Amino acid sequence: MNIAVCVKHAVDEGELRADTSGRPQLQGALSKMGSFDRNAVEEAIRLKESNGGSVTVVCLGGADSKKTLKEALAMGCDKALAVASARALDALATSYYLSRALKKAGPFDVVLLAEGASDTYHGLVGPMLARWLGLPFLGFARKVEVNGSKVRTEAALEDRAESYETVLPAVISVVSEVNTPRYPTLLQIMQAAKKPMEEVTVESLTDEGAPKFGVTVGDVVVQSVDRKKLVFEGPAEETSRKLIDALRKEGLL
Amino acid sequence: MDVLVFSENPHLAAELLSAGAGLAAASGGRAYSVEADSVRQGTHGNALLLRSEVPLLGDPALLAEAISAARKTKVAPVVLIGSTKTGRMVAGGLAVLDQLCVLSDVRDLRVDGGRLTGTRGVYAGKFNALVGGPLPSIALIPQGSYEPFSEPSGPVEEVRVTTGPPKVSREELRSSAKSSLDLRGAKVIVAAGRGLKAKEDLAIVQRLADALGGVIGASRPLSSDLGWLGEEYHIGLTGVYVHPDLYVAVGISGQIQHVAGIRDSKVIVAINRDKQAPIFQVSDYGVVGDLYEVVPALLRALGRP
Repeated sequence: MNIAVCVKHAVDEGELRADTSGRPQLQGALSKMGSFDRNAVEEAIRLKESNGGSVTVVCLGGADSKKTLKEALAMGCDKALAVASARALDALATSYYLSRALKKAGPFDVVLLAEGASDTYHGLVGPMLARWLGLPFLGFARKVEVNGSKVRTEAALEDRAESYETVLPAVISVVSEVNTPRYPTLLQIMQAAKKPMEEVTVESLTDEGAPKFGVTVGDVVVQSVDRKKLVFEGPAEETSRKLIDALRKEGLL
Repeated sequence: MDVLVFSENPHLAAELLSAGAGLAAASGGRAYSVEADSVRQGTHGNALLLRSEVPLLGDPALLAEAISAARKTKVAPVVLIGSTKTGRMVAGGLAVLDQLCVLSDVRDLRVDGGRLTGTRGVYAGKFNALVGGPLPSIALIPQGSYEPFSEPSGPVEEVRVTTGPPKVSREELRSSAKSSLDLRGAKVIVAAGRGLKAKEDLAIVQRLADALGGVIGASRPLSSDLGWLGEEYHIGLTGVYVHPDLYVAVGISGQIQHVAGIRDSKVIVAINRDKQAPIFQVSDYGVVGDLYEVVPALLRALGRP
């Protein structure tokens, strides 16, 4: 089975700080493989382990993307494909170039990705990619089962769970409870350096169908909601009375 | 300028209609609530009913195709879609079919100089970004951003659309009818996290919620990983975004993905035994202590032992 998994090299949103003007300090900010992308990589490797085949990990982004690709190779992907883009692209353009790269590198039976990126979280690249590729999209899977030429997933939607079934090839997005991602061993990390990594540029994939417009991102400022941060400590009888008093004063009780 | 709005969630659809009517009115246009297969009960305003040979509702790919087909007869430069998982799938498909920009999870929508603009949270809601795209564009809008449209139902225009055959066969595993929970509209939410030792202990969280006149919710570990509560209870970046007057986090450490979903709460209260837990940094009131002592003490103080 030929499996592709698309990942993003994302800003570490947990560590990101605002500068004195309230803007995110992106210069020198920590970055990593998107938190949810690790689950997509894990699922791709598990599919390979139970069905045979190989896994190609694909990442669109800047030069840093190779760190994420190497990590995915260490986890157990077989080859990597970097889609180099000098500038940040919106979901429509990202999904378009990923679809072109996958068409060139494929064909793939399964294309996996996370439900969304942990830094920007649009949740759009998956359904867009499926549409560009003309494939069925099985979104938000918490369980993936391949059976011969068919795939069945269980989707976790806001108010209900659904099961989807379709004939491969298909694009599948996974939610983080689908699995627990593995950590590569030191040996695997060393071996990953020897695995093949190819690179294509967004420019080389541009053709007449490429989106000619995009979402522009203007000012980004820190979301400042001033919280009171009043913390009560002590015996539970005392702290709970203080809390109830505070909530009464807020007019909430 | 006409505006189409769609959400499979009727509450959200009514809110989108308000947003759409506001945008349309400025240019002498109309907002239409897109209904698929049949018009839902309690629909407000003008409706555009899409019918195909195959059922559309429940299949985001077909809904995208149907809305795309409808836009050929009903020129609508702005399409507003509810920010739900289904909404994202519909918006993604429609954007590719019709070559549209998508602004996701935006508020404060405006049309200005041929562009649609709005603000959205980025980096798990730590920052706000001003985003925009050229018309025609799609905006995904989270619940609670606009007051629901309250005018009575208007005329229904029916549009016959042709879509491809469904590519995915679907089956509902757990019926939505069983769950009437709507955390997004709740005024008081008491949410439980990993600090809870056993599923049975949800009972004391529920009692606190009852005493405060609210409903219970959960952080991801409880609703997803442990499965103590259904997916609909999951509050956070990848679950529902809530905006109650009072949010009480019981035994929740305050991981950034969870906090992203509660930022719009008016007052946040945290109960956690770990004084260093990040939840205290985003709370108005915090109680450091064992939830198994604090929650019963709160119930006693509220006269609900």
